[in-house]
Amino acid sequence: MSPRVVGHSLPRMDAPGKVTGTAVYASDFALPGMLHGKLLRSREPHARLVRIDAARARALPGVRAVLTAADVPDVRYGGALKDETVLARDRVRYVGQPVAAVAATTREAAEAALAAIEVVYEPLPAVLDLEAALAPGAPLIHEAWATYAAIPILHREGNVCHRARIVVGDVERGFAEADRIFEHRFRTAMVHQGYTEPRAAVASWDSSGQVTVWSNTQLPFEIQNTLAEILELAPSKIRVIVPGIGGGFGGKLRIGVEHVAALLARRTGRPVRVLTTSEEELTAAYPRQGTRVELRTGVTRAGRITAKEGRIWFDTGAFAGSGPGVASVATLVLAGPYKIPNLLLEGYAVYTNKTNCGSFRAPSGPQANFAVESQMDMIADALGLDPLEFRLQNIVREGDEGPTGQVLAGVGLEECLRRAAAAIGWDDRRPAPGRGKGLACGWWTTTGGSSGVYVKINPDGTVALNTGAAEIGTAALTGAAQVLAEELGVDLADIGVVSADTFATPFDFGAQGSRTAFAVGNACRAAVADLRRQLVGLAAAQLGVPADALELRDKAVVGAGKRVTLAELARLSQASGGGLIAHGTFIAPPTAYDAKRVEAHVYPAFHSPSFHAHAVDLSVDRETGEITLHRYVVAQDVGFAVNPAAIEGQIEGGVAQGLGQALSEELVYAEGRVLNPNLTDYKMPTALDLPRIESILVQHPSAVGPYGAKGVGEPPNIEPPAAVANAVAAAVGVRVTTLPITAEKVALALSGETAP
Amino acid sequence: MSFEYHEPAAVAEAVALGARFGEAGRFLAGGTDLIIQMRRGKVAPRHVLSLHRVPGLDRIEANGAITLGALVTHRAVERCADFQGPLGALVEGARVVGGHQIRNVATVGGNVVNASPAADVVPVLLTLDATVTCLGPDGERTLPLEGFLTGPGQTARRPGELLTAIRFERLPPASATAFLKAGRRRAMEISVVCVAARLTLDPARERCLAARITLGAVAPTTMRARAAERALEGRPLTDDVLREAGRLAAGECRPISDVRASARYRRLLVETLVPRALRRCRERIGGGA
Repeated sequence: MSPRVVGHSLPRMDAPGKVTGTAVYASDFALPGMLHGKLLRSREPHARLVRIDAARARALPGVRAVLTAADVPDVRYGGALKDETVLARDRVRYVGQPVAAVAATTREAAEAALAAIEVVYEPLPAVLDLEAALAPGAPLIHEAWATYAAIPILHREGNVCHRARIVVGDVERGFAEADRIFEHRFRTAMVHQGYTEPRAAVASWDSSGQVTVWSNTQLPFEIQNTLAEILELAPSKIRVIVPGIGGGFGGKLRIGVEHVAALLARRTGRPVRVLTTSEEELTAAYPRQGTRVELRTGVTRAGRITAKEGRIWFDTGAFAGSGPGVASVATLVLAGPYKIPNLLLEGYAVYTNKTNCGSFRAPSGPQANFAVESQMDMIADALGLDPLEFRLQNIVREGDEGPTGQVLAGVGLEECLRRAAAAIGWDDRRPAPGRGKGLACGWWTTTGGSSGVYVKINPDGTVALNTGAAEIGTAALTGAAQVLAEELGVDLADIGVVSADTFATPFDFGAQGSRTAFAVGNACRAAVADLRRQLVGLAAAQLGVPADALELRDKAVVGAGKRVTLAELARLSQASGGGLIAHGTFIAPPTAYDAKRVEAHVYPAFHSPSFHAHAVDLSVDRETGEITLHRYVVAQDVGFAVNPAAIEGQIEGGVAQGLGQALSEELVYAEGRVLNPNLTDYKMPTALDLPRIESILVQHPSAVGPYGAKGVGEPPNIEPPAAVANAVAAAVGVRVTTLPITAEKVALALSGETAP
Repeated sequence: MSFEYHEPAAVAEAVALGARFGEAGRFLAGGTDLIIQMRRGKVAPRHVLSLHRVPGLDRIEANGAITLGALVTHRAVERCADFQGPLGALVEGARVVGGHQIRNVATVGGNVVNASPAADVVPVLLTLDATVTCLGPDGERTLPLEGFLTGPGQTARRPGELLTAIRFERLPPASATAFLKAGRRRAMEISVVCVAARLTLDPARERCLAARITLGAVAPTTMRARAAERALEGRPLTDDVLREAGRLAAGECRPISDVRASARYRRLLVETLVPRALRRCRERIGGGA
């Protein structure tokens, strides 16, 4: 029987509220008597804090609290590495680091208080970029780095807060077998996620000593634990609720302003809201790391890759943040979706005096893929090979090994490449002067972690899905609900969702890593397996039909020509057995890999990997360097398309974001300060900058995902920079090896100059 | 941000309030610059004088000379039937300012008073030899727009003076205008460089009688490229001549390097966009070289 609910492009459950403006976001949330919290942020990239005097600020009208490091628990927290404090204690390490927090009756009073706090800095030599951080004798960003708590696997040394490595075969032997060895360097810029809603939190303490925090986090359960650490309380004393999120894209994984709101609320005894400004977002959030990449690749004359040596350095800023994980994941992206017998790949997370970088949709993906896929075209050009053919000669196929020895299954890469190339008209790669087409491909993971759901059948036969995951705008919970509806034999419209409340909902690893529809969907299947037993048991007694003759169909249990509705069974259960409810759980099985191939690796294999190819057709104005995008095609192996329209939405949004990184976006630092901390000069693309984006959904099922689905949210963000770089090279012969590929870089290269 | 808000109902009343408050007062037209500057703490007027109740300031008069009242919005310029022909650069400049919501409220008068060197309509007005009329306690005075713009954010407007109108003549026969803009994206963009041009050819459409070339975002104020203009006047406008004008304009502009672009790239854009704008004018006039 063909599926009734999954596989169909049903409208998103969250759409009506969002398009009519009735959806409640975290920044809409307010409580009576609420105070406004604000942070005083460092003006120096690296300095000793000599003195903070808040006496004048505390005396201002409307000011209810001013907190400095002396007023908050002396706790170092963080993810893999605990190197962060709530407020700077004796040193500031980036412009924008919180130094003091204030709560006042109005935002204006809070701002006046910030201005009245006197801070004396004694500047220290600042480490402004990767080169400075890695130079011999470089000043240490964290002199006491060795004393910080960290997960044991991390490999740290001074300003390097992690180095992950993959070693396969012997690269020197591989280079000896090569006819040509290609060495190239690349750079990518720091970029912001560009979510529409800034980070927001409201905190309120009750008389039992429990604090409730309403925030727009992607990971309420992680925030609960981090708050427990910072506030020195048991996690059960902390309740985190996500009322709604105006976008996250990885930027709201780690603690934002929740702790500030909670600390100010504890001090004042009043609810406190903290809401960041655009300037705070662009100077002191968790952007994507800028990188430097070096690749050395050996190839035979016929186009077979024999060895690859690659290093990527992530400028992770003043704290490790997501750096160690991102540096690890990057090595798998550097390998690419290619069969290469000899590999030496390293990812470094490096401290500098900049804002703490974090996770951004496919962390490390665009940076590493830009280098790998640019170089694939550079090699193909040098060998006189067609870039598509060169890729097809080296890509992984069904049953091949991944770089760390995982056995690949459900590999739709060849189909993706061929279909994307055909759709863009690859046969005519340079259809007019100044016009060219580019291709890029890649692979990505479906992040693991566990999910739990409660599924309850209401007395009217509708279904309540209770999940700890937040709907962050990806339609992932619509996808999970479609799986639930399919399995239970009901319609999507019958499902209602309660989500993301650490007190009331079951645990979920969170809305991250392309995992939500995949993992919550599978947890729903587990819950339905339990509910089916309950329903069939009740129906068998009710109908006098053996249980094994019954099945769930069309909102009822049917068999032997008899039928009883879910509503009737739910009412029956409420009268006699406490109602119909089930707890479903899921954790992705571990992906087997060869542990001898990795060192200090936080993420040694891609789970249920997805494969994808992007193609772009563009023109370049030879005089101004301006790039006009004509068409953009994505062929993505999604395993099984639970909701094709929603996936196309993810592809269009991911490509739009990727094209911003490719062409226009960068946080520009000079002397440790962001020069463009506003949305006037931080250039996210507008609708007029984007071409038509066409999606081809390729479906080679995964073994684990619901109906064979794979993670789909992050991948569309990975390939746009490389695809654009390759198309620009095809159009005008200019190879830009740094992101973003601005008109200025292209024009100056065409005029024979290099960009400043 | 705390201030007293006034809504004068007549020009005379607005000017009287302007005179009374002097430096402590600011006129509010569209507010798309003023409110942002107030929010960022760059200006902190104690009195905000809204012009919205003053009748007639939102009119475009096109009897002979053309007069734009102080409250004429960019949207109104975009849609004005009188600007669809030889004055088309006004439309081209107005329609690339901000987004729809901005253009619906942002006024050309406010754009002139804000005196950003990157303003988009100002270069077009300069090619039209526009004048501005200010009304203050000492009466009315009319100045050339070029002289009115004295520096980034600086004008010859005196404290309390209200810019009431911008005026320019219709163009003679065989004339056309063009406006081009370069930026990192196609909307919601501040010009990295913008260029406006106006050409008037002789009746045979062979030689250039008058040329105006103006440049935005390459000097402390929107500027005229006079050397480039002189290279055109009296000559047949071959492609070589237009390119020469581009080189001269690139030579006389004074760009800086900033987060939006390098000075080198800005010069390169001037050298490219000037001949393009001139070619567009030539095509619009038709005939000739």
